[in-house]
Amino acid sequence: MIRVALAGNPNVGKSVIFNNLTGSRQRVGNWPGKTVEKKEGIARCNGEEIYVVDLPGTYSLTAYSIEELIARDYIVEERPDVVVVVVDASNLERNLYLVLQVLELGARVVVALNKMDLAEISNLRVDAEKLEKVLGVPVVPTVAPRRIGMEELCRRVLEASRAERPAIAVKYGREFEDAICRIAELVGVEESLRAYNARWLAIKLLEGDSAVVQRIESLPGGRRILREVGELRRALEEKYGDVELALVNERYRLIRHIVEEVVKGEKALKASDALDQALLDKYLGIPVFISILWIIFQFTFIASTPFSDILGDLFAVLSEKLAHVTGIAHVDYLLFGEYGVLNGIGAILSFMPLIMALYFAMSLLEDFGYMARAAFLMDRVMRKLGLTGRSIIPMILGFGCNIAGVYSTRIIPTEEDRIVTIVTNPLMLCSARLVAFAAIAAAFWGSAAGSVLLSLYILGILLAVLVALALKKTVFRGVESPFIIEMPPYQAPSLRVAVSYMWLRASLFFKKAGTVILLGLLVIGLLATTDSSTLSFTEDVEHSLVAELGRALQPLFSPLNWDWILVVSAIFGFVAKEIVIGATAMLYRVSEEELSEVLLLRYDPVTMYAYMVFVLAYVPCVATLAAVRHETLSWKWTLFTVLYEVLLAYTLGLLTLLVGRAVFPGV
Amino acid sequence: MRKSILCYSALVGFMYAVYGLLQAYNGVATWFLGEGSSLQLGVKLFDAYIPNAFPDPFSGLALATTGLMFLSASYHGVRGFAKYKGYLFAAWLLSTVMLVLNVVELLASVLDAYYPLLYGGEPNYEWSLASDAWGIAPHLLLGILALPVYLDLKEFVEELLPGTR
Repeated sequence: MIRVALAGNPNVGKSVIFNNLTGSRQRVGNWPGKTVEKKEGIARCNGEEIYVVDLPGTYSLTAYSIEELIARDYIVEERPDVVVVVVDASNLERNLYLVLQVLELGARVVVALNKMDLAEISNLRVDAEKLEKVLGVPVVPTVAPRRIGMEELCRRVLEASRAERPAIAVKYGREFEDAICRIAELVGVEESLRAYNARWLAIKLLEGDSAVVQRIESLPGGRRILREVGELRRALEEKYGDVELALVNERYRLIRHIVEEVVKGEKALKASDALDQALLDKYLGIPVFISILWIIFQFTFIASTPFSDILGDLFAVLSEKLAHVTGIAHVDYLLFGEYGVLNGIGAILSFMPLIMALYFAMSLLEDFGYMARAAFLMDRVMRKLGLTGRSIIPMILGFGCNIAGVYSTRIIPTEEDRIVTIVTNPLMLCSARLVAFAAIAAAFWGSAAGSVLLSLYILGILLAVLVALALKKTVFRGVESPFIIEMPPYQAPSLRVAVSYMWLRASLFFKKAGTVILLGLLVIGLLATTDSSTLSFTEDVEHSLVAELGRALQPLFSPLNWDWILVVSAIFGFVAKEIVIGATAMLYRVSEEELSEVLLLRYDPVTMYAYMVFVLAYVPCVATLAAVRHETLSWKWTLFTVLYEVLLAYTLGLLTLLVGRAVFPGV
Repeated sequence: MRKSILCYSALVGFMYAVYGLLQAYNGVATWFLGEGSSLQLGVKLFDAYIPNAFPDPFSGLALATTGLMFLSASYHGVRGFAKYKGYLFAAWLLSTVMLVLNVVELLASVLDAYYPLLYGGEPNYEWSLASDAWGIAPHLLLGILALPVYLDLKEFVEELLPGTR
């Protein structure tokens, strides 16, 4: 079977082409970094089966980040028959760099000249035929979302798979070429390096590529080769300065020449550039970002409220109707009674409209192309603090779910920055915690609930930045990594995409409610109906096992003014954060609607804000912790995450309470 | 045409900034001094201020930022910079989205009050413009005032988001 790898810069439409070829359904977003791992599928072309691998989006094939290494290792080690490099026709200059690097690897290349429609809109005329002649490899113009050029692409891939591997793509200056040839001779005689392209190895050694240097070092005659490479490098450095930079400049010189040849016509200031100047304004950029977040949370809260109330009513009626459905008193009580699991599930599921509204709004924003701009804006702030802007994308993904945020840290090149981002990601206010906070904020702040939620989002970001800063100033001092992010084109948000994304998230939420959350609430229900002294069934929650547990731990939390019910709810939030609100409703024996009244009677706004601050910062849910362990490969960092978060949450909760009482004495 | 749009944009921007500051002030004043300390800059109709500058500092920030974007558009436009359209579009988009948000808020409040009627129940509460937390807020009124700015943005939108004009 022919093996084809899809490579390209982030956000050039690789995933759409992969979906078109293989018929799979990867989610495609209008921002870079969607594909961190390689994805596989089978395509059919002229009766032949083609094995297609979608590699992570990369700007180059250096060894600076995990996605670059994944892409490079696959092309070098697996040697696919053809590499399809997807390039953005509306931004050819930057995209051709990767094409040249793949050609340098000695791979058979087919260039998919994608986004031809956007190039036309930008008044750019890209001559595909001329590009084919200049590069010496097949070039196929495509518009992936409309499936234009897909058949031709398949045909050219089949042709290329039977063709010879191409000749050298980039010719460097004479002295560089002499050095490359000499090193290629040295590595060419090594038996274990026969599988590699000798010229490529030579260039990488000249560049000082750490992965290739290590590979050579491990060979018996490796040190001798490296010594000679060192001498050649020094000679070139004396004349040209940094060798890697000189080679990069040489590639870009060639690229500029190619672009001059094949691209005609350009406007002075494009509309997208003008809008970028406004949205990324030095002074107004951040206030615009905060305003957009405020609009999203207000919309989420306002639009979902009536539907949440309707669902709350529905569950109350359902609970009443099912009160005696099994005829077994204990079971009916446990499932449908005042402490019943249905009551708890209802309190959580009634917030499904909130989750749907949030993801609907986020999807529109992402589709429009604003997310990458937000990352760029935050990068400015992060860099001033000595942090990497690459943390921004995991942070934004963490707003949806911390697990996704933790896994997306794979885009961060240095291990130190990755660990810092992983251990701080659980501080991002995820949608599970949003469910709990929405109920509390609605009860205490009414129409200002959206603003209260926004303040917690901002607090989460600030805490993450401060913790990251503390780690960078102590444990990981002096480690820095560059951040490059591509601005995707603006596009009209698709209502269809937003609705389908909203349904997808709603179904995931529903699934979680039916599994982990149900199980957690069932355990709480059992503990709440088991007498602590006789271990028999009881309707008196005050003498139940759960009350004993809560009361035993309550002194620890008495400085925060919590009763044992809030203590138990927070503890069970470790299973899934949604449980916090479900358990609170169950243990106070109220429905979602009555929960507001109970909380208002028992607590004041300052105490409840401090409670939310605690829940924002305390231990991540068990699934997020598993992700932290998986990604850091370290129990030490997993334990660190738990410990620092508990300490931070407690300290902040207490501080919020004390400061709140001092500033608002009348509350 | 361009000159008049720039003047109009500056005027709308100024009003956004004023109401933004007013809302931010009301938000902070209500925190520290309690209900009743808010200032209003509107007409009182049916016991409700129009527009109602409800206390919310983040809302104030959003209005003020929109105002500054309009003012920046006028500033860059007067100096002859093509980038003014980017600022104008961003401001117009923010103002339109906030207009829609105010409409959604009103509809959601009415629905929340009266949905029990759908299955023969009693309303949750009696809704009125005066009892609504937002009511007719600056977001709605200023959003309507900002709509004509689009006349200067048609070509820009066509280039930015083809097929959506």
